[in-house]
Amino acid sequence: MAQTNNDGYYEAYWPRGARQQKTRALAPRLDTLEGKTVAQLWDYLFKGDEVFALLEEDLKRRYPGIKFVSWREFGSTHADDEKEALAALPKRFKELGVDAVISGMAC
Amino acid sequence: MKQAAATSIGLGMPNITLAMVPGHIGTKSKEELRRDVIGVTAEQVIQNLTVMPAAKGTSGEPGARDIVVRGGFNAVNKYFVKHEYSDGLPIVPPTKEAIEEFLRFTERSPDEVLGVLLPDRRAATVWSVAVNGVMAGCRPEYMPILVATIEAMADPKYAVEHSGNTPGGDTLIILNGPIIKQLDFNYTQGALRDGFQPNTSIGRFFRLYLRNVAGFLLHKTDKATFGNTWRVVLAENDDVLKEIGWETTGEEMGYKAGDNTVTISRFTGGGSLSSVSGSTPEQLLPYIADSLLRFNNWQITFTTSHGHGTLRPLAVLSPIIAEAIAKAGWSKLDVKKFLFEHARMPAWVFERQLRDWNIRGVWDLKDDVVNGRIPKVFYESDDPNRMVPIVWKPEDFMIAVGGDPMRNNAYIFAHNAFLGYPVGRKIELPKNWETLLKEVQD
Repeated sequence: MAQTNNDGYYEAYWPRGARQQKTRALAPRLDTLEGKTVAQLWDYLFKGDEVFALLEEDLKRRYPGIKFVSWREFGSTHADDEKEALAALPKRFKELGVDAVISGMAC
Repeated sequence: MKQAAATSIGLGMPNITLAMVPGHIGTKSKEELRRDVIGVTAEQVIQNLTVMPAAKGTSGEPGARDIVVRGGFNAVNKYFVKHEYSDGLPIVPPTKEAIEEFLRFTERSPDEVLGVLLPDRRAATVWSVAVNGVMAGCRPEYMPILVATIEAMADPKYAVEHSGNTPGGDTLIILNGPIIKQLDFNYTQGALRDGFQPNTSIGRFFRLYLRNVAGFLLHKTDKATFGNTWRVVLAENDDVLKEIGWETTGEEMGYKAGDNTVTISRFTGGGSLSSVSGSTPEQLLPYIADSLLRFNNWQITFTTSHGHGTLRPLAVLSPIIAEAIAKAGWSKLDVKKFLFEHARMPAWVFERQLRDWNIRGVWDLKDDVVNGRIPKVFYESDDPNRMVPIVWKPEDFMIAVGGDPMRNNAYIFAHNAFLGYPVGRKIELPKNWETLLKEVQD
């Protein structure tokens, strides 16, 4: 007896959309942290205040001339006004002479 | 780390550098944290800041209108599961004929971009709405609702980019307007359960769209600890609301009575309240007020400077409860005012939740008030037993009416605040809507 194939035939389209973001180059790295100004960005979660304090302690031990700009300067990066806070950063970094940024905390 | 790596692609920086604190911050002692940050994390930070990582390209993808698989039902579904286009249930294959049936129900161009969605930063086109609508098992005539829903998803105020966060909440779509009856939505008994095609399939569509166009995939960009599955559309009981003189959710979002609207908002959880009893608002509402506190626990973080009062808890009242309250002459706003006064907890309980249990170390209510970040009601004295609300104003509570008209139950939703803020959209119908509808429903 002939078997009936109930599987059909379909030509199915891609359900996604084109990505709108091109890859961009990361900022150049620093040759050393000695004498550099490092900004801290925090989303006020996951004990970032303690983590940043420990990082400061250790990095100052290794690079005595390193300077930090506290996360307190910038506001939370994960609050209802996070988009505005992030948009303001390039100007603030320039004003503060920031060379590098450490942003935390994720989990 | 996996989520950061996956999310960085959509941000255009697939090789962005990450440093890790081993294990989980939440369960470390102070000594363990010191050991791990100084012993492991610091070295990675130095490396990340001083050594350029290798470049990473992105792999090619199909074009926006490409056929990706040809074959039988099972072969198509196998392909879709393998490529993570499917939620694990069989999908309806999105063929040209099926997609074009959906496109008949909108006057928008298929190539129109409704928005660009993170984390993948993909264009949300009308075409892709139709494709995912087919997949979800929607009917073509649902297309105007699907388009409005994705317009809302793309609204920056909704903040779709947070849809893969740790709490793993899911969106509730609230529907208002004559379209409820035109398309046979369930708006009475079992209003939040699957079983009716429009409620169920549109809920599924929303999550498929989050997967396929926003880009939320488990073990990659979606890091929900547990997660919820998609929520069935809540069609409000507009008839009852009109009878008792209360605004619908759509009207509260700024639309006119009689407009077809969707309102989307993201909720992390909630629960059912059984036997909400009493014949007066004063008898009925204390239970609701108490339950709003119980279900919105860690979420009160959004009431502080973390969220600046963006918490919008939702109470869904069955019609008989709403009718009993309205019979006493109370408006929806009266209910909200009662809830604002009574859904309160001692300040020390509020602070214990966030400071001791959620480890928000650098904050307290006094500091937030004194620095002008939150309203004075949160710090009217130094008394730790002073009662504080969980929202900034009565209007922050949302109230919807639905469910079995003859059961005295309610449902409380815990809100994710600015990580899924309520956004409404009017549903645009094509000019020949009535004709098209008659064609498909006859």
